[in-house]
Amino acid sequence: MCKSNNQTYRTDVSSSFFVFNKGTSKLYFFTLLIISISSFLQAQNRQVSGTVKDAISSDPLPGATVFVKGTTNGTVTDIDGNFNINASPSDTIVVTFVGFTNQEFTPGNQTLFNILLKEDLKQLDEIVVIGYGTVRKSDLTGSVSSVKNEELIKSPASDPVNSMQGKVAGLQILSGGEPGTESYVRLRGINTLNNNKVLYVVDGVIINDDNNVNKGISFLNSQDIESIEVLKDASAKAIFGTRGANGVIIVTTKKSKGEATFNFSADYGVEKMSHKIELMNGKEFAQFINAAEPGTYNNIDALPNVDWQELVYEEWTPIQNYTLSASGSTDKLNYYISGGYYSQKGILPKSDFDRFTLKFNNTYQVKEYLKIGTSLTGFATTKQNPPGVINTVYWAWPINEPYNSDGTFAEVLGSANPLAAIEYTNSNKNEFRAIGNVYAEIKFLKDFKFKSSYQFDVSNSKSKSFTPVFYVAPLQLNEESDISVTFNETRKWIFENTLNYNKEFGEHRLDAIIGYTAQEDVWEFISGSRVNVLGESPDLWYLHSGSSDETQNDNYASLSALTSILFRANYAFADRYIATLTFRRDGSSKFGINNRYANFPAIALGWNISNEAFFPKDLIIDKLKVRASWGVNGNEKINYLDQYSYLSTGYDAVFGTNQSLNSGVTYSGQPGNPDLKWETTTEYDLGIEFGLFKSKLTGELDYYDRLTSDILVKLTLPGFAGAGVGVKKTFNAADVRNSGFEFVLNWQDEIGNITYGLGLNGNINNNQVEGLGEGIPGAGDNIPDGYLGNGKNVTITEVGQPIGYFYGYKVIGVFQNADQLSSTPHLSTQSVGDFIYQDTNNDGTLDANDRTYIGSWIPKFVYGFNANIGFKGLSLNLDFAGQSGNDIYNGKQTLQHSTLNHEVKFINRWTGEGTSNTDPRASIGGANYEPSDYFIEDASFLKLRTVTLSYALPNSIVEKIKMQSLSVFVRGTDLWIMTNYSGYTAEIGSGDSALGGVIDLGVYPTTKVISGGLNLRF
Amino acid sequence: MKKIIILSFVLVLILMSSCNDDFLERPPQGSIAVGSYPSTSNEAIAATNAVYNTLRIWQFNSGGFPLLDIMSDEARKGSNPGDGTSVVPFDNFTYTPTEGGIENWYRTLYLGIRRSYLVLESVPSIEMDDDLKTRLIAETRFLLGYFYSLLVRGFGDVPLVTSSVPPTILSRTASEEIYQQIIFPDLEFAADNLPKKSEYSNDDIGRITSGAAKALLARLYLYRKDYTNAEKYSLEVINSLEYGLESNFADAFSVAGEFGTESVFEIGALPYGSLSLGGNQYANTQGVRGTPNYGWGFARPSYQWITDMMNDTDPRIEPSIIFLNEVIDDIVIVGDPITPDTTYTDASNTQILEIEAYNQKVYAGTSNQDQWGHNRRIIRYADVLLMAAEALNENNKPNDALVYINEVRSRARAGNLGVLPDIVTTDKSQLRNAIYNERAKELFMEGLRFWDLIRTDRAESILGPLGFIKDKNEIFPIPQSEIDISGGVIIQNPNY
Repeated sequence: MCKSNNQTYRTDVSSSFFVFNKGTSKLYFFTLLIISISSFLQAQNRQVSGTVKDAISSDPLPGATVFVKGTTNGTVTDIDGNFNINASPSDTIVVTFVGFTNQEFTPGNQTLFNILLKEDLKQLDEIVVIGYGTVRKSDLTGSVSSVKNEELIKSPASDPVNSMQGKVAGLQILSGGEPGTESYVRLRGINTLNNNKVLYVVDGVIINDDNNVNKGISFLNSQDIESIEVLKDASAKAIFGTRGANGVIIVTTKKSKGEATFNFSADYGVEKMSHKIELMNGKEFAQFINAAEPGTYNNIDALPNVDWQELVYEEWTPIQNYTLSASGSTDKLNYYISGGYYSQKGILPKSDFDRFTLKFNNTYQVKEYLKIGTSLTGFATTKQNPPGVINTVYWAWPINEPYNSDGTFAEVLGSANPLAAIEYTNSNKNEFRAIGNVYAEIKFLKDFKFKSSYQFDVSNSKSKSFTPVFYVAPLQLNEESDISVTFNETRKWIFENTLNYNKEFGEHRLDAIIGYTAQEDVWEFISGSRVNVLGESPDLWYLHSGSSDETQNDNYASLSALTSILFRANYAFADRYIATLTFRRDGSSKFGINNRYANFPAIALGWNISNEAFFPKDLIIDKLKVRASWGVNGNEKINYLDQYSYLSTGYDAVFGTNQSLNSGVTYSGQPGNPDLKWETTTEYDLGIEFGLFKSKLTGELDYYDRLTSDILVKLTLPGFAGAGVGVKKTFNAADVRNSGFEFVLNWQDEIGNITYGLGLNGNINNNQVEGLGEGIPGAGDNIPDGYLGNGKNVTITEVGQPIGYFYGYKVIGVFQNADQLSSTPHLSTQSVGDFIYQDTNNDGTLDANDRTYIGSWIPKFVYGFNANIGFKGLSLNLDFAGQSGNDIYNGKQTLQHSTLNHEVKFINRWTGEGTSNTDPRASIGGANYEPSDYFIEDASFLKLRTVTLSYALPNSIVEKIKMQSLSVFVRGTDLWIMTNYSGYTAEIGSGDSALGGVIDLGVYPTTKVISGGLNLRF
Repeated sequence: MKKIIILSFVLVLILMSSCNDDFLERPPQGSIAVGSYPSTSNEAIAATNAVYNTLRIWQFNSGGFPLLDIMSDEARKGSNPGDGTSVVPFDNFTYTPTEGGIENWYRTLYLGIRRSYLVLESVPSIEMDDDLKTRLIAETRFLLGYFYSLLVRGFGDVPLVTSSVPPTILSRTASEEIYQQIIFPDLEFAADNLPKKSEYSNDDIGRITSGAAKALLARLYLYRKDYTNAEKYSLEVINSLEYGLESNFADAFSVAGEFGTESVFEIGALPYGSLSLGGNQYANTQGVRGTPNYGWGFARPSYQWITDMMNDTDPRIEPSIIFLNEVIDDIVIVGDPITPDTTYTDASNTQILEIEAYNQKVYAGTSNQDQWGHNRRIIRYADVLLMAAEALNENNKPNDALVYINEVRSRARAGNLGVLPDIVTTDKSQLRNAIYNERAKELFMEGLRFWDLIRTDRAESILGPLGFIKDKNEIFPIPQSEIDISGGVIIQNPNY
């Protein structure tokens, strides 16, 4: 759609006219369109009844559709397969059921029929959702993984994508411990130095999450999801053009599958910290301080011993999840309505999270050629922003009691009194979001389908925080109470029109789509704060309750727009040879005027070898397919402002005998780059799919190589550029290559009444930076990042190495005596008992040039495996997930800006010649806390993601209580974790930028969960 | 019916496939793209005000912490032993090129330079009142010169930037060239074109004056041992009769004395805890730690200075230092519970190393936020008098010099005629030492001592015991990041 702000377009189309104006135009257009083409249903005259059964098993088929051909008159069979329908003797009655071939009959004078449907083997071929359409699995030329609802709800999570942890080859998923946070998801390595988040598409709506509002698909209830498809190779992703490079996750929510059914599921669990950090106790700490500053504590045994982790974290806090849904279908109407409630208290006080979800999926067959549909998702959450005490707890001195004798909070050295911090922190966030898709689909000229859809994604979030007046200690106090409120609002619309041509002729099958889409994203932020609030009651947590003298407020927005043309053709010949051509052209407002449009082509070929006549039928191998793809994808996740240098208010000066602010305006933000453009990922993929032993064993193996170039990256400008402290500028500077193997193996079989299965998948990836923009003025040969918060950086990005690898000194021992110190290169600030850092360049002096590779945060191997076994109604599922070959920099150990508690590893310190050659003397700050491999820890882990024991009650019992099905389960999540990492969790992902690596500066602990529940269908 | 439908969507498709460019144009929201601003008189004032704003940025104060005082013999690191360990290397001269504080200072000075060029590149072509235009340009040129003077004094040779969009690669330019090309011409332009202090309206008090420009020139010439020019400019300030000494020494820094007669160059600030509301964290960084809580307590007055002042019974000690148990504005100073009240150099606890005490010159009221309202005095008239005295003595005019040093001593005496007798010696060397001595007492913890020791070649003897290394610590290292980004074009200072 073409328009700019505040303009109204009037366009005459046929006899009606449509008023287009911002935001609402498409909806209006569709309403008119739908109204203008709807018509009335016809009446019928005589009752025909019968039973629909499976032709082979003779089981009744409930939920089969029976309708009179050419009309909208129809019904659905009941639980016993029975139907009644009004029809005239000459009508043609059609009976359809998913997975079976249709049957037609003319009733004549007969009124009672026994219909036997045969399974349709062709239709049984799995349908896979891809961008802007679906494809038969056998016709798929790209690398796409599909996870169905049954798999997802076996390992539930508040963020549904987390349920796929360990289940999709190439997909790295890390759980966060904090309630209501998004999981970390990366596909096939780390594609860019910039934002590596995958693109989510929910029921055709492309979800953007670069506006700091709600993230990922955590707004969805797993129970509502039918399937999640992961598009992995360039061919599959190319249809998403400039947003596809990091991988695309397509979520399809549930639709009805038959007769009216209610579903209820309940899940109740409790959680507890997975792993407590081993910190010094009071005595150990005092000994450490005495070693660093002799004579500080004389009577160590008299000192208190406080375990702050015990005092602060709670155990066995509840997690609850309930969903009730209703669904059903007639030949005209298909509906799915669901409501869900999720609640998690969190193990840290004041970190509660509550979520309500609503889902409506409806389609209406208005005419034989016209279907209209709506898909709506709504959610509302309340989240308490956890008090920032993770580090406070870690650093707090164990020799300080939490309370004074009078019951007030005592001063706690090291950081602050964590209990007081919790008491005085009041911060919560409410979010609301609605995502919708309203569409009409018109079939015409037999093989054509035109679909026009208007999609929206609107949300708002409100955060409030209130701090009362309090005094605990000189560095932990608040002199004036304060209240601050922020509002975020996002509004997005997409207008999408696609024309589809689907034709089968002889052995040829062609499915082509061409489309045009336009979209606009608006994000607006408003905030205010005041001090001296009237009181502490939540009733007063409004700006209005604060004094107006120190009012602060702000309000700004970001805008972006995208227009695209897309095309894809999938051609299959004789179920053997398949080709897919894809093309997308995107124009994005986020890039400079010279680089507004980008083209993304892709091609893929597939060969179902096992369908060839020459393929022997008696081999162990019964299915074999090879495929190859090449394509170009893009990434446009970049702040819309980055192309501009701009000026803002707020840089005031104070003048006058009555001193007051005088408005100042100058450069703000980062210097702009008008040449900015998208990142380009060129990828090829070779895949083989196979089935052995009558497809009891199935597998897939892929090799891929993806090169991302023109990577958008913020480079530190020289100080003399005058951007100020910490301000950078965005360039298209870098190249990164990810290459690797992916494999999937599944074995599914049964022995008598016992069914069992084993699955294994993995991804071996190599990540390497291939360029940092040689020739781009200002680009250096490395990008330091990974700021530790103490003036030191610990990551660097360099050609030939993985992105943001850890960079520091290599510790090769501890100086044992003065002779050794004087004869060995060392830093000027070092003394006996300090680390011996390796003089890596052997120049006889130890300086910054001796820092070197000390680790990488990017896993080399990400994998998962699962096992299931079932006997009658009983089933046991085990899912494992793991990764290896990655490190974490334990930054919280190094942040010694004052005297802080230490981890127990510092107990084994050097105390004199010969005592330790691995751990240094006690010191507070100083040379031993320079970035070094002493703080690098192996972050590989393998965990039992979920173990579920469930029991489906036998039909005989279920029927007696008038239910369709009932199952109960008990489940353990993250009960067993194998890792050497000392922190709360090894599941720490990088920030939005990959350059900073993974530095543990204190993360919310992950938990183990034990839960139980039931699923009921009636 | 079908035809209508088909026709509709064909038309819709056609409609959509045109004029994308306008749709894809999304300018900044809430900010203005560089290019057209400033273009009016008011905008010129706002752009100039934003240059002044730089002076209140926390990192403008030697990277945030009062490093210059800590590096001198006047103060130690302060706060409690475990806090702010990143400051320790400045107390004992073990800092390295990667120290964050230095980089932040360096970057903030260049930030001010970029903001200056926004004014200097646009304002000359704005149609506006010529006097105002000249004044704004002169104010900005002063600030530009000031930023550069801090850079060259702090870091030696530095990249010379002469526009708001500098080249992406620059090597270091000799500091002398920067003095001649930028600093002196700009400060002289400011001295010639700016109003005198008395010529500003009440609302504009605090803007740069011709007197401030001349005083800064005097300071820089003194640093360069150009006593002729130092004498010339300091006397011009004195003879302008625009300035005088506050009768009460404390008012030279107090809230009551803000923009008073002694103020030559002062940074206005409001008592709010944020930069955007008008606050300046300079004093808060040094404020009393603990009870009452006025700040972080960095830069602890050295015990040596305290005993020297006591030995001289110099009345300035009291207004300069907050001692424990002192009562100020009816509030007892209890101090920080973690900081030992007294530390000793020896095991038998006889030789005092430090006592817990704070810089009273930055005290600005009885709350934490009040400290943010302290107006930092960059140049005050007493300094001008002492600069004049020093230059006159070096130029062999001891009798003239005596007038000015004794003017300072007279006020310091606070009416107690029994202390601080007038200096009478005309012996050049004796008088020189007396002036040095007077600066140490009068200008205590005003960020001047370290540079005074450097320029008078006394740093090695006085600071050597604290770790100062000759031919190294006279200037800071160039921040390592600057060298890294330049790909080696920028070369480190010697011995770092």
